[in-house]
Amino acid sequence: MILLEDVTKVYEGGIVALRDVSLDVQKGEFVFMVGPSGSGKSTLIRLMLREEPATRGKIWVAGKDITKMPSWKVPNLRRSIGTVFQDFKLLPNRTVSENVAFALEVLGRPKTVINHQVAQVLDLVGLATKGDRYPLQLSGGEQQRVSVARAFVNRPPILLADEPTGNLDPATSVGIMRILDRINRTGTTVLMATHDHAIVDAMRRRVVQLERGRVVRDQSRGRYESFRVDDDETPKKVGPAVEEPSPEPPSVPEDKEPADVPEQSA
Amino acid sequence: MSRAAYLIQQALSSLRRNALVVAAAILAVFVSLTLAFGALVVNELFRVNTTRWQEGVHVVVFMKDDVSQDAQADLEREIQSWDEVDKTTFCDKTCAWLEFNEMFADQPALLEETDASILPASIRIKLTNVDYYRDITFRLLDNPAVRKTVTAGDRFDQLSNISSILNALGLGLAILLGVASVVLIANTIRMAIYARRDEVSVMKLVGASNWFIRIPFLLEGMLQGFVGAALAVAAVWAGHGFLAGLEPDDFFIRLSVGNDFLIQWGILILLFGASAGIVGSAFGLRRFLKV
Repeated sequence: MILLEDVTKVYEGGIVALRDVSLDVQKGEFVFMVGPSGSGKSTLIRLMLREEPATRGKIWVAGKDITKMPSWKVPNLRRSIGTVFQDFKLLPNRTVSENVAFALEVLGRPKTVINHQVAQVLDLVGLATKGDRYPLQLSGGEQQRVSVARAFVNRPPILLADEPTGNLDPATSVGIMRILDRINRTGTTVLMATHDHAIVDAMRRRVVQLERGRVVRDQSRGRYESFRVDDDETPKKVGPAVEEPSPEPPSVPEDKEPADVPEQSA
Repeated sequence: MSRAAYLIQQALSSLRRNALVVAAAILAVFVSLTLAFGALVVNELFRVNTTRWQEGVHVVVFMKDDVSQDAQADLEREIQSWDEVDKTTFCDKTCAWLEFNEMFADQPALLEETDASILPASIRIKLTNVDYYRDITFRLLDNPAVRKTVTAGDRFDQLSNISSILNALGLGLAILLGVASVVLIANTIRMAIYARRDEVSVMKLVGASNWFIRIPFLLEGMLQGFVGAALAVAAVWAGHGFLAGLEPDDFFIRLSVGNDFLIQWGILILLFGASAGIVGSAFGLRRFLKV
């Protein structure tokens, strides 16, 4: 569903955001992307959405080589990808229903189809009774559910989520993850960048760890931190990048990035 | 259908949001196109008058009453023999009275008070080239049979001067203001994009096509240009109506142009305004919305 081959992204000024990243995500997979801030998670998502072109390498999304895609085809690409962000990106002057419907309106869907699909997806995220509220009348968790509903209302084959629980408390985050899990069970490929240890550890899905623009770990049924794999019976699947001699062994948490490393393992 | 309605509604709500800047842009288009259209009308007036002047009677020689008919005929023959003269027409006192009656048909009091005998006989001269009117007038100045020569030449020169100054001024200002209005429209579109940036980013996110995002902004610019142009056309029509009302029952000057001219150019001005609006919004959209 998503395939990256030796993707490198260098921003203006020579800042290297991604270095030879290769990744293969199958249809229906649920993948966590973890790593400290600045490790390249968001850049990876931006590349998949073709908000930026890759400097080198190839990216296939939903069977299409998007590195060669002409820009007029990009809107079509984005229709096959639902996106959820940390800051929800809801329109404050529209109601919940209108926010979700907006995604279908701009695609020119007929009104009856829109009404039906919006009702269905609001039910899925548990906001069936709150369609007439405005985003600011909702809690953060509810706003994020609206955002997930908008991303999924078009039934895209892929859902990208960039820190969807970043602004939410743990209990609310669990609710969001339940919805993402349900969406994943419908066959939708979900790729989620996160800092949320508890969630990654609880869900035990494939984990791709990025560090300084490289994939340093790619593990099925992984945890947030790789060293804790040892006290678990789960077989370890090591990505190709790890086999390269790396200056920083991924198995040891870096002192340099204390912000992203938990104070204690709990 | 619902899609078109949606796009138009987007454009209208955006216009409402930036009412003040939009008003400025419309005003600029209005002033610019009024000047341009006004200059065109003045030009046309000038052409209409020139044509009349070119085809008509250029110099009228009024005779003294005591000149004998033979002397009058001699003078006409002499004038006719001049190279500059194309044609002459003689109008005796009876002819003058008839003409006077026609001219002041709506003022019977004046006609009653006027004595037919005081109206002078005249020779109307058509020149081969209107520029000779000064020579002819000069040559007839000392002729004993001539009471007075009248020519539209002076008025013609005046009109010509005014017209060319108005033209230069009007067109110069129109171009300047035209550029200003395109820039202003571009600016309002920038503001509109800024005001709707969240919406636009969501639209991009969910895969709205580029044209779907752009069309409301283009429509918005087009509407601004069109409304400004419509106001300009209305103003020039009104101005022309006023001027036409002032048109004297004069032999020489016309102050109105044809309706065909006004309608044809009015439509062109409207189209021009709308396209200027589109160009302006295209400028505003440039660099933006590259997906």
